[in-house]
Amino acid sequence: MSLENLLAIQRLVRHEAGHAVVLKLIAAAERNLADARVTSISAENRFDAAYKAILQCAMAALAARGYRTSTSQPGHHQTAIQTLPLTLAVDSGTVIVLDALRKQRNLTDYSGDGISDALLAECIAQAESLLRHARATLGGP
Amino acid sequence: MLASLLFGDYRQKVLARLLLHPEQSYHVREIARLTGTSAGTLHKELARLAQAGVLTREAIGNQVRYGANRRCPIYPELAGILRKTAGLADVLTEALSTLRERLTLAVVFGSVARGDEGPGSDVDVLLVGDIGFAEVVRAFHEAQSSIGREINPVVLSSAEFHDKLKCGDTFLAAILGGKKIFLIGNEHEFGKPAGNPAPGSA
Repeated sequence: MSLENLLAIQRLVRHEAGHAVVLKLIAAAERNLADARVTSISAENRFDAAYKAILQCAMAALAARGYRTSTSQPGHHQTAIQTLPLTLAVDSGTVIVLDALRKQRNLTDYSGDGISDALLAECIAQAESLLRHARATLGGP
Repeated sequence: MLASLLFGDYRQKVLARLLLHPEQSYHVREIARLTGTSAGTLHKELARLAQAGVLTREAIGNQVRYGANRRCPIYPELAGILRKTAGLADVLTEALSTLRERLTLAVVFGSVARGDEGPGSDVDVLLVGDIGFAEVVRAFHEAQSSIGREINPVVLSSAEFHDKLKCGDTFLAAILGGKKIFLIGNEHEFGKPAGNPAPGSA
């Protein structure tokens, strides 16, 4: 589905934010990724920080195109991840993994179950790779 | 739950095995071994299913072989139902085939294993081995549409799994104490003495 169609069904809203907002989101993603590498905190919080960095990259890419997700709609994280092929040409295999990370975050938030080493490592690796790609495409600090 | 509502226990197991492997035919003892049932009781069940045209029956010498009858008018629907219910374990095991050598354990737990899943329930799968989360997600991706449920994998390295077992992790304890469907490995993996990691975990 195109960004225009997502706008029509109100998954996205128009948001002419300007490049400063794009850079601000990239910088926030950088900080969150740095936090995710801090080993003295719990795996849950490291995972959350890395996931947040992924989301902020997606938001930055949307902002660069003049959109943001509609936070009044349920599933706006899912929408943000699904727009990545449109905004940053992310391949579908990666989107499948990013969406699985989103789901894991929901599940662990509500179950209180811990985050495994494999899950944390994947989330950080995906955040690193997406941030690198977002910076190269959108420009960054 | 759905499968046991529709078919008796033996019929469920037989149909799941035969209809989801339509390229193969089996003799009765083989079916009994694969489904964990007894050959004696199976004879009648298989004969009835063949008579109704759901299975093919072929006598070769003194051996009778049964297989899925793909020309049965309701074969696609029946296979679809079984793929989503009793045959779910087969679909998941098949999805893991390329990762098999690196896994010491793959087990379904939660509502699907207990048989009290609802329409929106995920399939919870614990996987132990030298494997990444992304690989598992990609391996299961297509199976999700074939079984009509989302799959929620929990991936642990062998060392992490044994550490958690040793310190009485509540998540693993709940899986250990609950109903499970083993895809790879068996109950034995949960009982390995501490400090004796699974082969290939080094």
